[in-house]
Amino acid sequence: MATDFDVEFIEDTEREARFLVRGITPAFANGIRRAILADVPTLSIDTVRFVENSSVLFDEVLALRMGLVPLTTPEGEFDEDDTVTLAIDVEGPATAYSGDLVSPDPQVEPADENIPLIELKDGQRLEAEAEAKLGRGRDHAKFQGGVAVGYRHLQHVEVGDDASEYGEDEAQIVRGVIEDGDELVATSEFGHDLTNRYPGKEVTVEDVPNAFVFHVESDGSMPVDELVLRAVDTLSTRADELREKVSL
Amino acid sequence: MDLRVIEQQDTELTIEIAGEDHTFMNVLKGALLELDDVAAATYDQNPEQSGGQTEPVLTLKTEGAKPLDCLEQGATLVDEQMNEFRTAFENAR
Repeated sequence: MATDFDVEFIEDTEREARFLVRGITPAFANGIRRAILADVPTLSIDTVRFVENSSVLFDEVLALRMGLVPLTTPEGEFDEDDTVTLAIDVEGPATAYSGDLVSPDPQVEPADENIPLIELKDGQRLEAEAEAKLGRGRDHAKFQGGVAVGYRHLQHVEVGDDASEYGEDEAQIVRGVIEDGDELVATSEFGHDLTNRYPGKEVTVEDVPNAFVFHVESDGSMPVDELVLRAVDTLSTRADELREKVSL
Repeated sequence: MDLRVIEQQDTELTIEIAGEDHTFMNVLKGALLELDDVAAATYDQNPEQSGGQTEPVLTLKTEGAKPLDCLEQGATLVDEQMNEFRTAFENAR
């Protein structure tokens, strides 16, 4: 019963990672996936005070667009009710970008600087104060730290006999990561087509039980590894809470 | 997280775990089923718009052990697994 997890990275950058976990149950894998999406708190703009908005968009629409800009969220620095006030002041003709949001705290910056908020024409001006607060993906998608978070079974490939010479010449598409002996290969390396990797061979593909390949992409609020670990933390915090309440 | 016992017998327990959703309940259920003392574990959660009971309700049957003890063990197991995962994840980088 004591599960020994075995984690192996296939791809590992700050914004995107692909890693294999062995010895994980589907319930556990899905718990982590859901926690990454919905339970990791991130900062997002929630209230905007407009000083001047003579652009073509209504205040509400601009506020939504600002809200969707991912902000870097340092770990443990902010509590639920803390706010950070960012300012923006852009005069047309120009395009207001997320990078124009000025933050008083160097730890809280727009994760990307090139997200267009609004194109301002001659004489139009946008000046506003935007208050960012901590929130969770379950309340609003702007608080999601992870984008495109998912997992697939690891696929085990067994190479068999030669394919029949006059057989159908069909592509055999697999997506994800395959296990060939001890080697882990991302299917993108051979165009997701097994006939490219094993020409003229019969191959059988099988899901490896309790081995899942996670693909996690961060919106920039925090590096991927932090995102995963914070998600794990939210789950273990809840398990702790339940244990305490039950033992009373 | 607010607990409310709906029904409790020697080997059976129905408990509401308010404030949680599938994210935690399914992990907890999975862990409970791994325990030897647990005969059956399931949870039910209705969608928010359905009205009525929308908080998850956990039902647990044991092979003789006290169901609340099993629940405590289940929570401990989730916590242990999370910590193991954290360690394995950190070591892999």
